[in-house]
Amino acid sequence: MSMQAREEILGRLKSASKNTLAARPERPVLSEINLDKGQLLQRFTSELNAQTGAAYLATDKEDAIRILSGIASAEGFKSVLATSGEIYGVDIRAFGTKNNVSVSTVQDFSDRNAFRESAFTVDAGITSADFAVAETGTLGVIFNKDQPRLVSIAPPVHIAIVPVDKLYPVYEDVIEQVFKNTDKIPSQFCFITGPSSTGDIQGVHFKGMHGPVKIFVIFIMGA
Amino acid sequence: MKNERSQLFLNLVSSGFPIMRQFALSSFPDPAAAESYSRSIRADVLERMPELLEEFEKNAISRGVKVIWAGDAAEANNIVLDIARHKGVQYVTKGKSMITEEIGLNEYLIKNGVDVYETDLGEVITQQLSLPPFHLVGPAINVPPEKISDIFLKNGILKEPTTDPVTLGKAARTFLREKFRYQEMGIVGVNMAIAETGSFINVENEGNIRMNKSSPKTLVAIMSLEKVVPTMADAIHMTRTLIRNCTGQKMTSYVSFDTGPKKADELDGPEEIYMVIVDNGRSEIYKDLKARDILKCIRCGACMNTCPVYAKIGGYPYGFAYTGPMGQAINPLLLGIENTTDLYRACTLCGACTKTCPAGVNHPFLFLEYRSREIRNKNAKGNRTLVSWLENTIATVSSFGMSQGWAWTLGVKCVRPALNFLSRDGYIRDIPFGVQGWFSCRDLMALPDKTFHDRWKVLRNEPVPLADMAKKEVI
Repeated sequence: MSMQAREEILGRLKSASKNTLAARPERPVLSEINLDKGQLLQRFTSELNAQTGAAYLATDKEDAIRILSGIASAEGFKSVLATSGEIYGVDIRAFGTKNNVSVSTVQDFSDRNAFRESAFTVDAGITSADFAVAETGTLGVIFNKDQPRLVSIAPPVHIAIVPVDKLYPVYEDVIEQVFKNTDKIPSQFCFITGPSSTGDIQGVHFKGMHGPVKIFVIFIMGA
Repeated sequence: MKNERSQLFLNLVSSGFPIMRQFALSSFPDPAAAESYSRSIRADVLERMPELLEEFEKNAISRGVKVIWAGDAAEANNIVLDIARHKGVQYVTKGKSMITEEIGLNEYLIKNGVDVYETDLGEVITQQLSLPPFHLVGPAINVPPEKISDIFLKNGILKEPTTDPVTLGKAARTFLREKFRYQEMGIVGVNMAIAETGSFINVENEGNIRMNKSSPKTLVAIMSLEKVVPTMADAIHMTRTLIRNCTGQKMTSYVSFDTGPKKADELDGPEEIYMVIVDNGRSEIYKDLKARDILKCIRCGACMNTCPVYAKIGGYPYGFAYTGPMGQAINPLLLGIENTTDLYRACTLCGACTKTCPAGVNHPFLFLEYRSREIRNKNAKGNRTLVSWLENTIATVSSFGMSQGWAWTLGVKCVRPALNFLSRDGYIRDIPFGVQGWFSCRDLMALPDKTFHDRWKVLRNEPVPLADMAKKEVI
């Protein structure tokens, strides 16, 4: 049945007469590509702040743990789910012990349902991010076995750790790297900009519709 | 129109939204260049649609996606129902998707025993209240919180009545989290399907689509033919344009790119992705070279935010899933030009829609085309009536008269005395066989015997009256 539908649809499309297509204009240039390192970080931070997200710059692993601890005590975390026990050298388990927060990691799970249950019950998800884009204060995340999708969408708070040298001006810089090698295209890639949000009732905007209510981004130097 | 809240919202949209959109567009170094580039991408898609769809299909299949084509709504609905039955799921959750509104998927699944939970907040509300979408982007944005509170209480989503939009939203969050947590099958629409890689993109703020693409084992994505774009680079540019025109944001919370189902070692994500490509009349529209312009549409909704007619009447009178100018342009093609005459006639042809459109659709041109087709059809052999013959004859004579100077002058000379013959006390109060409605609330002054041109022939030779400067009065 569906093969027949396919042939009929494509047949009709192909039977339509052809027009000559006008040449495309030049691809528009983006101003962000001229920003220097400091400006990129500034732009990322102000864009993320506009979405109620917060960005931090950690000078080293210890500094990152200090920042994480600050967030954990302010938010009152009791349990977190992390993509790994160590994210870009930051020891998440040590952070847990220090702050009396129970830490589970993706590697603790082999069963899909048990993992899903955890993602829906913890106070926060801590993940790595593969890229950051200054253009709109956006994270770029490749999903794979070490980075399951639910850690960054199901818990009410998302904390992402990303090396500062993975901060790029525009989306194209990232897309190029993710999709260039056709053998290595991930099953899912996602741009994340701020917490989830809606304005569907009376146009009243609020953060935290189905995904995270809050998002924190920790840039780490020399990772 | 009498609903005060709807009117309030419409005033807000028509005054506030264009400003937000302009502000978002101004983040492009050259907004005009960005717009013309996105229009050129859509023109490219329109021209190469069959090739692009084949390329997308080939690449999606090579990534492990199961691609299924559906000729019409019934076929598409059956395909989805079959998958749900085959998987033995109790319920499905859905991301917002216009094509599923168009084909009536929810009603069909529910009728056949599969529960459907819409998960976009606006769609949750319209589904529970059985309302059509009021606006493309905010389908329930006009619904008063009291009404939402009542239906949420009735359906056990809310415990205490409230009129606070945030409390209502959070109640829906809590309710739907349980659905996401145990779901086995999700259904999403598609914003763009990328021919080059076989990937598809969803653009959203709420996170419900990401939930649908992460939590269940089975994912059904539904796209109409025109969602395909050539390359990833094109998709990124279109994403920027779509978001700015759709919500006035620079970027939405999530833009997710799916290229095949999850790998074997991944802990979540769909084990199977079914991509249903729905035609439902589009390949016929594609053969219609004048009308197919509408297939450029990317469903951003910018046209309705700028339309003076939509700003007064809102989304309900359009009578179908698609509202505003884009609805006026596509509904006649999907439902029949003869059944939708009010849609393409309820337009002043001001052109605000086409000026705003990032895809380069020329809506007023389409409306004129539909009007002309309707008239031609009414005058075709077998359909002709006295009224249609009369209308047609008057239009033909007028169009001849207006295109020839001498004919116009002659016509005017004949019509004036004829009209004045009907006047009493200097006013014409009615004319026979004619425009009774026009005279129901106004009279026409009797026409002077001479036209301005006639008078000017004499006047031009007389001396120009001069202003009396001392009195500063003009004579």
